[in-house]
Amino acid sequence: MQELVLIQPGSAARSEWVREAAQADARREFEERLRECGPLAYRVARGVLRNAADAEDVAQEALLRAYRGFDRLRDRSRFRAWLVRIAFRLALDRLRSAKRREQRDTLWSQPAHLPPPATAEDIAVSNQFQGHLERVLDELPEKLRLVLLLSAMEGYTIDEIAEMVGVPTGTVKSRIFIARKKLAEKLRCHANTIKMP
Amino acid sequence: MPCEHYKDALTEAAATGVGPQGALRAHLTACDSCRAAFEQEQSLFTAIDSGLHAAANAEVPPSLLPRVRAGLDEVAVAPPPRWLQPLVFASAGVALAFVVFLIARPYHATPENVVRQGPVFAPTAITPGTNANPGKIPAAAAETASTGANPSHTARNSTFFHPVASSNPQVLVPADEHEALARFVATLSQRSDVATAFLAQTPERKDALVSPDLLQIADIEIKPLEGGEAEASHSVGEKR
Ligand SMILES: [Zn+2]
Repeated sequence: MQELVLIQPGSAARSEWVREAAQADARREFEERLRECGPLAYRVARGVLRNAADAEDVAQEALLRAYRGFDRLRDRSRFRAWLVRIAFRLALDRLRSAKRREQRDTLWSQPAHLPPPATAEDIAVSNQFQGHLERVLDELPEKLRLVLLLSAMEGYTIDEIAEMVGVPTGTVKSRIFIARKKLAEKLRCHANTIKMP
Repeated sequence: MPCEHYKDALTEAAATGVGPQGALRAHLTACDSCRAAFEQEQSLFTAIDSGLHAAANAEVPPSLLPRVRAGLDEVAVAPPPRWLQPLVFASAGVALAFVVFLIARPYHATPENVVRQGPVFAPTAITPGTNANPGKIPAAAAETASTGANPSHTARNSTFFHPVASSNPQVLVPADEHEALARFVATLSQRSDVATAFLAQTPERKDALVSPDLLQIADIEIKPLEGGEAEASHSVGEKR
């Protein structure tokens, strides 16, 4: 005759191995999100901080926070939206730190990913313009800055940006338009004094 | 019309990327200075867009993901909200207990069954608080009654983990399905849809699970003892 055991499913579920199994499941699922959204977190931070080392720190912190709250963030789009916002917020916090600002200023003249211009003069001009552009970006209101940054990233539609930021697509479009105009206003004088790339 | 009038329209047209339309377009074909200003604005927005693209698409350092993975080992995932856990466990437990109750019902130790059936060979889950007549037959007495005829039976075929004081319902499962059940219950805590589906199907399965004809025991025939004393057999037993 088959052996029977009397168990309490509730207490069994709380047992150690069940917790470990759940942890392994979460880890596996998180790994997918990490590969998919890790670069996004980095680029959001990098767009704000303009410093690779700081952006990497911030992206790591944001991703670890996301993992801690992963039970609430298992839904794909919810995870991405949360991650973008937390990475942006952490990057802004770090940017406000005077100590970091000093460090960053020394790296400002080395923008990360510009196509190599033809001449030394062009390099000087484009770097100068890029430096001004990024400085002016800092002066934009936060909500405009995040949307503009996401819209400039490769691979995200307006609908996806709206989902990440949590506003209607119409709002995203108008924020992009307003942000670009504000940048143009601030850069117009500068553009008149130097040659644009 | 003075050139100043077209200033805003000119900027808007450059900002949207849509070519100049209507009156502006006509003016630009006629006015060299406005055309030059428009081209300047277009270059400005082109420069802004390429600068933004550069700022927003920085190459991701290859060290990022390994760093995060290393950090994960030191981080524990927070459990779901505290109020949710007991709710899920309770629903799952109630559903399972109900199914097991339906399966075990023909053998359930009621006072009537104890008298009529004598030794009970089917497993009986004794859960404090579920006895229909707790005043008449205490759980401990029912256990004794059901196993009295074959005291080694329970010890041989069941492993009783003596219940700790807990609100969790208990169920009897085959030993080799113990793990599977625990896994299933763990899934329920993460998958509310499964739990809902499970609970929703329970009433439909009721008819399929109830099998009242499984155990048929003929009525005990009560005969008067020889010698004419019309006493029931059980009261004889009591006298001895
Ligand atoms: Zn004109």
